[in-house]
Amino acid sequence: MDSYLDNLPAFVDTIKSIKETIITNIVLIGQIPAPTFKEKRRTSVFMERLADFRVDECTTDGYRNPIGIIKGTSETRPPIFVVAHLDTIWGTDIDHYYTIRSDSMTGAGVTENSIGVGVLVSLPEIFRRLNLSFESDIVLAGVIQSLGRGNLRGIRHLLKTWSTPIRGAVCIESYELGRLNYYADGMIRCEVDCNISTTNGWEHKFKPNAILILNEVINQILKLRLPQRPRSRVIIGKISGGFKHGVIAYDAKLGFEIQSNSDKMVKSIFNNIKDIIEGISHEYEVELKLKTLSNINAARIKYNHPLVKSTVEVMKKLDLTPISEPSESELSIFLSRKVPAVTLGITRGENHQHINATAEIEPMFKGIAQIIGVIMAIDSGVCDEE
Amino acid sequence: MTAGCAMKSSWLEKNTFHYSEFNDLDRLVEEKQRKNLKISLCLPTLNEEKTIAKEILIVKSELMTRYPLLDEIVVIDSESTDKTREIARSFGADVYKATEILPDLEAFKGKGENLWKALYVTKGDIIVYIDADIKNIHHRFVYALLGPLILFDKIKYVKAFYDRPIAIGKSKIRPTGGGRVTELVVRPLFSLFFPELTQILQPLSGEYAGFREIFEAIPFPIGYGVETSMILDIYEKWGLDVIAQVDLDRRIHRNQDTRALGKMAFVILMTFINRKIRLGLIDIKEDLSNEMIQYNLIKDEYKPDIFQIEGHERPPIIEIPAYRKKFK
Repeated sequence: MDSYLDNLPAFVDTIKSIKETIITNIVLIGQIPAPTFKEKRRTSVFMERLADFRVDECTTDGYRNPIGIIKGTSETRPPIFVVAHLDTIWGTDIDHYYTIRSDSMTGAGVTENSIGVGVLVSLPEIFRRLNLSFESDIVLAGVIQSLGRGNLRGIRHLLKTWSTPIRGAVCIESYELGRLNYYADGMIRCEVDCNISTTNGWEHKFKPNAILILNEVINQILKLRLPQRPRSRVIIGKISGGFKHGVIAYDAKLGFEIQSNSDKMVKSIFNNIKDIIEGISHEYEVELKLKTLSNINAARIKYNHPLVKSTVEVMKKLDLTPISEPSESELSIFLSRKVPAVTLGITRGENHQHINATAEIEPMFKGIAQIIGVIMAIDSGVCDEE
Repeated sequence: MTAGCAMKSSWLEKNTFHYSEFNDLDRLVEEKQRKNLKISLCLPTLNEEKTIAKEILIVKSELMTRYPLLDEIVVIDSESTDKTREIARSFGADVYKATEILPDLEAFKGKGENLWKALYVTKGDIIVYIDADIKNIHHRFVYALLGPLILFDKIKYVKAFYDRPIAIGKSKIRPTGGGRVTELVVRPLFSLFFPELTQILQPLSGEYAGFREIFEAIPFPIGYGVETSMILDIYEKWGLDVIAQVDLDRRIHRNQDTRALGKMAFVILMTFINRKIRLGLIDIKEDLSNEMIQYNLIKDEYKPDIFQIEGHERPPIIEIPAYRKKFK
């Protein structure tokens, strides 16, 4: 392992020597709007670019996830997956055209997840430049329908229908360099809709206010006693409602997530919140609808898993300090299927998830080198030991 | 069907292409090498720091590093006050200030001046001119213009046309629009005086390519009129059959307000009428004014805003001794 670790700092310069090609891929793919469920155009360009880089096999799976396969030298080794989600948080009416400066890239979605996808399709050319070949097939997958209501459908389908074992996986996120995710919390993402009938009737002496109803829901959620072990929390993340300043709100919506490293606890908190909502609906005589948007199970590999240890070594060799937090990304689906996997970030930036998100160019080359280091680690067998 | 219509459809059918007809880049490179051609890309700039890097790096990556179709990328700048030159240089373009090229000549400022001076500093047998403000730049903008020039011996000049959505505000795109000066000024003029040229769908597009032997033999107005005069001069000297046009799909550009377009229309009209006078096709009894007058309402009073056009024009560069010395 040490031999390739020693090569990593030199890799950074070679990767940098084709920065035009890497940024070109980021721009050509990232400038195509791809809100969740509308990734078709971006998928086509993803495939075109992979084909243009003469990847051995370019195809889509039954769910239309675009995939490129770089053939390995071994007939028997299982494949290594490298994935990045294709969908973005921005709609088709938003200007996706990027501004490139000497040291940065700016535009909607550049850090979510254009850089990740652009780097993914650049990997075949980067491998060629570094003169790298692998025992395992490398499966480059741009997965669709990951975010929000997509509920990681693309990756779920891809792994469910993949017929052979998978040796290990690297999930790529544009942001932020230094992240090392190797565990996922259990999570349920929900929305509560409150609708007050606008017709005048006998049932309400005083019209209830949808915003105040949701305020009551929030208050009661905050009163829940959450355990410190298993570590659990409820995040109130979104709220909207009302029509104008002087009129009682007839509609309001609340979005929240329940997170815990115990699936059982997530379920228990969810049931408590469901009871709260049913109670308030009954007491205030209003319609409150609880919808589950997405959910994932808690899953992890340990910190002392050889993949995590190798990844830490790779990052340290590149003077990167690993920072670990739970991740809700594609990682959780790999881990729940017992495939060792990590999520890595590529660069730094600012205004992440804003329309004017900006990413630094220079750190990107280390970010890519670390991904290659981890692929090499998996190919050398670190995931085969357990 | 009139005779004009029959001729029109014939030229349109033969000389109108779609960019996808030229996306076999291996073939273009092979043919370029077989014909021993050198190709230069020129980007005229004035304060284009937001788009210049993207244009250079995409074209360089795809058409120099991956497919050796281009031999050089040259930026000719009109004294930008932003970081255009610095950024262009950092991404590997050869950058010149227009005033530094042929410095013994009187200096003018304008897009046409930059294009004309590019002929002196570029080395290519073919020169591709691309505006530097294209938000959705793709390497097809370059290879599609080169395709007909490389593959068909008869074609000497290729012009782009496209759908033109425009960017409005900071983050929204309007799906259709643009091309107002073309439809309101140039097309009526062509229809009146050169009906054949109406087949050129977007005569004002800023993307075109041609052989040096064409560009060096025609004059260049220094400002907005350069595209119109170029078409008129090439048509006049070599006929329509040396011209081709290529559909580049969509091009996103900055929207310009009506006043700015008014000035553009004025310059184009001036260029057009001067060409007609020079060719002896019309006779105007008195000199044309060189002032475009627009009015602003300032504190209940209409005040004129006068935009003066000198109408300078560079002669065919082949007539410049320094150029002849360098290239002949």
